[in-house]
Amino acid sequence: MTLAALFTTGIELNGAQRLLLMLPLCLSIAVVYKTIRLDHLNELPKAAAALWGTIVAGMCAVGLGLWLLFQVMV
Amino acid sequence: MAETEHHSYLRAPVAGLLAWLVPGLGHIYLGDRSRGLVLLVAITATFWTGVAIGSVQATVAPHSRKLWFAAQLGSGGNAIAAYSLHRLVSPETATSPKQPVTANWLSAEVGVHYTGVAGLLNLLLVIDAIVRAERPTVSLRGRAWAKGVT
Repeated sequence: MTLAALFTTGIELNGAQRLLLMLPLCLSIAVVYKTIRLDHLNELPKAAAALWGTIVAGMCAVGLGLWLLFQVMV
Repeated sequence: MAETEHHSYLRAPVAGLLAWLVPGLGHIYLGDRSRGLVLLVAITATFWTGVAIGSVQATVAPHSRKLWFAAQLGSGGNAIAAYSLHRLVSPETATSPKQPVTANWLSAEVGVHYTGVAGLLNLLLVIDAIVRAERPTVSLRGRAWAKGVT
């Protein structure tokens, strides 16, 4: 497989894998945001992990809330 | 004196342009090498992971995903390179609104999200690089070389 083929052939995903792939995306957002905000980069791993956990927990809470609302309404 | 003022005047636009072209390069230009390298790796890895998941034909498609492509353009050089690759491997889908079938729709959506978010995050870096260029002592506190810049 050439390097170009890696980017021209998509990966087959199912629904669960699609949701799991949100985790690294959230990590990327947390790392970039904290890299900009922090004065000292040696605090980055801890701060980014904390923000990542917050984002993931927040998304889970929103998802659970919407799922409960759906159960009540339907 | 005049040379110093000229240098300061160009500092912010050059930092912004470099940050747009290559994520993190604006920060490296401003002397914040480690911050720039972290940003370079994070943004570039996010963008190309998205392309690898969804395929370049399905993710970087300016005619079928106009708004997402606008977001992807935020990552500058990465988006230009990806679109060039798309044109190279599939010129007919690169210039038409027809959706290419190179991945299932879930993969294409995830790929578009990754690349779009990478582009929007890079716009944040461009703004940050410009702000840091105008106020070098805020981000480069204690660096001896920064004293001579302003």
